[in-house]
Amino acid sequence: MTFRTRLLLILTASVIVSVGLVEWLVLSTTRDAFERVEAQRVDALVAQFRQEFSRRGSDVVRAVQGIARSDALLNIALASDSAPYYNEASGLASANGLDLLEIVAADGAIVSSAEWPARFGYKEDWLAGTAGWQNRGAFLRREELPDGFTLGLAAVAEVRAGDRTLYVTGGQRLDRAFLSSLVLPAGMRVLLYRNLSDGVSAANLTDSSGAVAQPEPFLPVIDEARRNPHEFGREVGSGPAEETFHIIPLQGLQNNLLGVLLVGSSRREMVELEAFLRNIGIILAGAGILVGVALSWWATTRVTRPVHALVASAEKVAAGNWNATVDLASGDEIGQLARAFNRMTQQLLAQRERLVQAERVAAWRELARRLAHELKNPLFPLQITVENMQRAREWAPEQFEEVFREGTETFLAEIAKLKQIIARFSDFAKMPAPEMQPVNLNQLVDETMRLFEPQLQEARIVPRADLDPELPSIPADPEQITWVLRNLVLNAIDAMPQGGSLTIRTAARNGGVRMEVRDTGHGLTAEECERLFTPYYTTKTHGTGLGLAIVQSVVSDHQGHISVESQPGKGTAFRIDLG
Amino acid sequence: MISLPANTLLMCLRWFAVLSAAALAVAATRPHYGGTLRVEVAESIETADPPQIGPGMADLGGAFSVTRWEGGHAAVYSAGESAEGGRPFLDSVEIQMGRALRDQAIDLETGKADLVELGLAEIRRPAPARKIWNTAPVRLIALSFAPRVTDERVREALALSVDRGAIHSVLLQRQGEISGGLLPQWISGYAFLFSTAADPARARSIVSGLPPQARAVTLSFEDPWLRPMAERIALNARDAGLSVSTAGSNPAADVRLLEVRITASDPSVALARTAATLGLAEPPRADSPEALFTAERALLEGFRVVPLFHLPYFYGVSSRVRGGPGITPLGEWRFENLWLEGSRP
Repeated sequence: MTFRTRLLLILTASVIVSVGLVEWLVLSTTRDAFERVEAQRVDALVAQFRQEFSRRGSDVVRAVQGIARSDALLNIALASDSAPYYNEASGLASANGLDLLEIVAADGAIVSSAEWPARFGYKEDWLAGTAGWQNRGAFLRREELPDGFTLGLAAVAEVRAGDRTLYVTGGQRLDRAFLSSLVLPAGMRVLLYRNLSDGVSAANLTDSSGAVAQPEPFLPVIDEARRNPHEFGREVGSGPAEETFHIIPLQGLQNNLLGVLLVGSSRREMVELEAFLRNIGIILAGAGILVGVALSWWATTRVTRPVHALVASAEKVAAGNWNATVDLASGDEIGQLARAFNRMTQQLLAQRERLVQAERVAAWRELARRLAHELKNPLFPLQITVENMQRAREWAPEQFEEVFREGTETFLAEIAKLKQIIARFSDFAKMPAPEMQPVNLNQLVDETMRLFEPQLQEARIVPRADLDPELPSIPADPEQITWVLRNLVLNAIDAMPQGGSLTIRTAARNGGVRMEVRDTGHGLTAEECERLFTPYYTTKTHGTGLGLAIVQSVVSDHQGHISVESQPGKGTAFRIDLG
Repeated sequence: MISLPANTLLMCLRWFAVLSAAALAVAATRPHYGGTLRVEVAESIETADPPQIGPGMADLGGAFSVTRWEGGHAAVYSAGESAEGGRPFLDSVEIQMGRALRDQAIDLETGKADLVELGLAEIRRPAPARKIWNTAPVRLIALSFAPRVTDERVREALALSVDRGAIHSVLLQRQGEISGGLLPQWISGYAFLFSTAADPARARSIVSGLPPQARAVTLSFEDPWLRPMAERIALNARDAGLSVSTAGSNPAADVRLLEVRITASDPSVALARTAATLGLAEPPRADSPEALFTAERALLEGFRVVPLFHLPYFYGVSSRVRGGPGITPLGEWRFENLWLEGSRP
């Protein structure tokens, strides 16, 4: 992964995370604000509902008290026999807008019942007892009807006529009709669960239109209110249909749970507004991310362009072009880096110049030392021969002829050596560039082995050729490769003065060829192996130290590689990879 | 010239006034001919011809003859000049059928009718300008079980659960009498021997032994005025553990609350007719009160029919109707001796 890609990814990720974080913060803050507003609205609605509920309770109280103050009740209270009035409650209830009305004697016996006329004479013990309805206003009551139980918002009034007492208990049924008569704000609805059975039953849940269409989501809430009667809020539904419900347990005189009111407020507007804001946020966040990515790309490009220039220059330097520089005029860190790079290359150039100069001087010194060493050996016999010839002429002229003859022979031999030394140095200096042509290495090996066959036989060396018949031709200069082969064979002969075996192998390798020349000579130490290809380094007493240096030079000119493997006493193997 | 003291003159004037008033009163209460008696009834007889038997209009046949008949609406009976007992005082009797009891009471109060039927609710309503004639208790109110209610325990439990006293005191306004027999006390003389007491505890005990499906009973009532009584019976039965649902006229009901009219004062005849009306077996001819009691008790065994009350019929009569009562204890119309105050030929 390039630096530019990595930088772009980091910047893009930073932009996305930042935009996402801002988006989340904005939405979260907005949602919290909406929730607070919604909670205030629901509270206001619930308060309004309570007011309406209280008003209805007050209406019931007024109606019951009005009935209690009526002449009809006074007549009943004064009558010696209440039997003729058993049907009185129906008319009174109807006239006063009550669903439930009972006129009850002091002993609790029902004189007249509007909701269940047949119940005359039955006892309403809770009225005469200490049920706590006094000073209570309207309260909730579970009322028994011929077809079951109902829930009523009831009130009680007492009628006294002399020493006689009557009770009037009346109210309105808490049912669908009651719910539909409530004046509710828009977006609000009220559900009533009448706790008339042991378990939670969907049949007992009603709203202003009758049975609730989908009661299932409410049943757990109702169950919670039944188990622990307290007011609480709960969200029911999902999406635009979500509603916030305020759960109000309805308790009777004995604090028994008679019903549960679910005052619901639609969250549709808020949900839709939240969804709108969320969509807008997503669009803005997407646009922001796109802009951020574009800016990141631009910034990345701007930042990495000088880095790329530095990289290109560094690669040029690595490729050997030490003159490469970076042209950056900026004053930031990258500009400082570029200027440092330019200084570094300039210093490298200067150091290289100095190094080359030093190497050149060292080479000349080494050459001078070698030349002195090489030339000193033949010169010393020449000096001795001349001095012998002078001494013979002065001190034994009779022997001068013989000394002269022997001296001239020595002269010629040493001069021949001097020529040979000069020729080798000349060869090293004049190594030409290889002339490439397809070459079958096996053929060169065969020719070389045949050439050295007598010499090897004389040195008691057993030659062995292990050649790959499928060896491909490679581009090479046959003269120089032959010279290399001969040089390595000569080295092997020198390494095996007591005889041995010489093995030359060829093999195809990775599209090229490998040639190995292995002897069973005295071998080399690790240090000798390291210095083996250094010019003028030799392990032989009569060598110039240029042979293997030339071999390495030829192989290198062929874009090849030469290596040596050797251990003392176990022979040496030279491997050349070409092609 | 004879001079009288002032106080003597005043006394003479007083006597004159008293005697004049007495003479006028004698003239007003004396029967006279003429006038039309306006009668209203709730029953609507839809037949093409006027009824020939039974109490009511058929009773007019001897002294009056029908001169106009509109089945279901109205009828006019005119006095027979050659009636066996002599011409009735009334010229005619005009009958309007199909009038609700409440409307009849209003018509009586407003002077649009002279003789109307009264419901129980109207009896205690104060109306100074009216008289009330009533029959003897000839209306039997009873529960009659359908043949498919084969479990006698259900019938007995329902019979034992009914609190007749509360119904009699409140719904019937203490009119008529509580009864456990088919025949009223005034006819049989032994009606008090049949138990009328409710026994809710025993009823509950019986119901507890019933399978749940047998505890549901449907109760229908023949006439709307019986609805409160049916609902009270259902309430009593519920206390005993039965689930009684009430409905109006329903032939498929398990038990019916119905009204049967006693049409004979002879005990044997009355029992036989009542048993026939209720679908009971014909009782054997009884020559003694003991045999009649045995026969009636046999009819009531098994609680197939549960007598509850015997009620009279009530009629509201305008104060201008004189010569009454024109209704016999059995409810027969005897209008031939009635005349109308203020009417002159």
